[in-house]
Amino acid sequence: MNLPKIASISKKIVVACVGLFLLLFLLVHLGINLCLLRPDDGAWFIAASNFMGTNYIVKVFEVVLFAVLFIHIILTIALQIQNWKARPVRYSQPSRSKTSAGSKTMIWTGGLVLCFLVLHFANFYFVKLGWVEGKYMIKTEELFSTELQNEYMAATQGKLSEEETAEFQTKMEKINAVAVKAEAEGLSSSDMKWILNLSAEDVEPLEGIVEGVEPDFYHMSYELFQNKAYSIIYIILFIALAIHLVHAMQSAFQTLGLNHNKYNKFIEGFSWIYAIVIAVGFAIIPIYIMFFV
Amino acid sequence: MNFTLKIWRQENAKAKGRFETYKVENISSDCSFLEMLDILNESLISNKIAHPVCFDNDCREGICGMCGLYINGRPHGNDDGVTTCQLHMRKFKDGETIWIEPWRAKAFPVIRDLVVDRTAYDKIIQAGGYVSVSTGGVPDANSILIPKDKADKAMDAAECIGCGACVAACKNASAMLFVSAKVSHLALLPQGKVEAANRVQKMVEKMDELGFGNCTNTYACEAECPKLIKRSNIARLNREWICARVGKEK
Repeated sequence: MNLPKIASISKKIVVACVGLFLLLFLLVHLGINLCLLRPDDGAWFIAASNFMGTNYIVKVFEVVLFAVLFIHIILTIALQIQNWKARPVRYSQPSRSKTSAGSKTMIWTGGLVLCFLVLHFANFYFVKLGWVEGKYMIKTEELFSTELQNEYMAATQGKLSEEETAEFQTKMEKINAVAVKAEAEGLSSSDMKWILNLSAEDVEPLEGIVEGVEPDFYHMSYELFQNKAYSIIYIILFIALAIHLVHAMQSAFQTLGLNHNKYNKFIEGFSWIYAIVIAVGFAIIPIYIMFFV
Repeated sequence: MNFTLKIWRQENAKAKGRFETYKVENISSDCSFLEMLDILNESLISNKIAHPVCFDNDCREGICGMCGLYINGRPHGNDDGVTTCQLHMRKFKDGETIWIEPWRAKAFPVIRDLVVDRTAYDKIIQAGGYVSVSTGGVPDANSILIPKDKADKAMDAAECIGCGACVAACKNASAMLFVSAKVSHLALLPQGKVEAANRVQKMVEKMDELGFGNCTNTYACEAECPKLIKRSNIARLNREWICARVGKEK
């Protein structure tokens, strides 16, 4: 874990810069999550999360984000190990120096956030990667693609051979379960709408026949937040994140050399406001779903 | 006033240390902390109880930086902006138990009892904490004009007496406040600017090499500094470092 060739201040500057990037990412994530609160059956949230999941520029930023997160974690652990080594014999008395609790617990609040990230990935990101089962959605026009429609036309006009007809029928049977759901909700192929809340059993047969199956994060979020234990853990972890952020932002500016009587108060106030906005913004979603849905 | 003292006793650098309990009685409230320890040592010697307790001290007027004890969880004890020698017993409650420990840091090994080896600070200064001056006549005092605010800031930073309380207070045993004070007081003045880029790099590299921790901007150093050196110096050190690295000429 020792990175002896990188000077302590250089490591800290990198941690501060990537930390500021992560602060910006949190705002973007919060913006999308708050769409969950709109009474529009998830239209905005699905549009936003689908954009984030499919846009190529966002995909590049996804790689950047993972790299940044990795650097932030590795460097802080390396720095922390050096810090522990710097005092091999501890004091017998606890420190009574006037310091903020947040600044002394950064590694622990950071560790809690990391634990939450693992849980968060297991719940959402791994579904996207196909490692874990979740809920899925698909667009109506994908379900009734032109290719399938052509095959359907050919079959009804008797242009297909017996073998091809049988093959087509198996395909239609596989699609049927989903198609029935779509029809039950009054959707047809021309609607260009999402068929939501599909289970893994629903979409498994579609593999190789239709494309465009996406995770339905909207219904997954609602289901998760209706679980009170999960919601409470979620809220507690965002309090830990807020404690982390209050010190993180001020600390990042100090590390980058930005300290002046003119704007120190502003940075401090802004750090508090930012941390509270992030924590309250994220926590309000499970609170709303637990008590008002 | 009467006190129960829990003092760290350690024969030498390699011996295993332990806390010993001593009682001191009839201590004047105007007694300084070091005078109280002198009284304890007198009684230890005259009553042949134990070897006297070793502790560093010199000027006893708060300007030399020699004394430094970790008292009840605070470097230089329970008072702001003073060294241990300037701490008075009136700051304690009668009958209080006082825990006295040496500075704890890998870079400041204990030599004996409460005395630590602070050569590490000298090594950092030797690495670059100076202005190279060729021999010659003493320059005229007003030949280089320095703005008042710059002179004040440089003077504030130069107040650092190198006692090591910043390292002792820091949860990471980081020497950033010390190094930043030394870098600042030279970098703020025209005489020191010439070598500023080289100086900051050499001093920080030496600081890392000696095994001090990394600053996490907790500011326990600022809270405990007997000379009230400000955290803004650490930001200046960071700025100096960035400028030196970005503009590095080789």
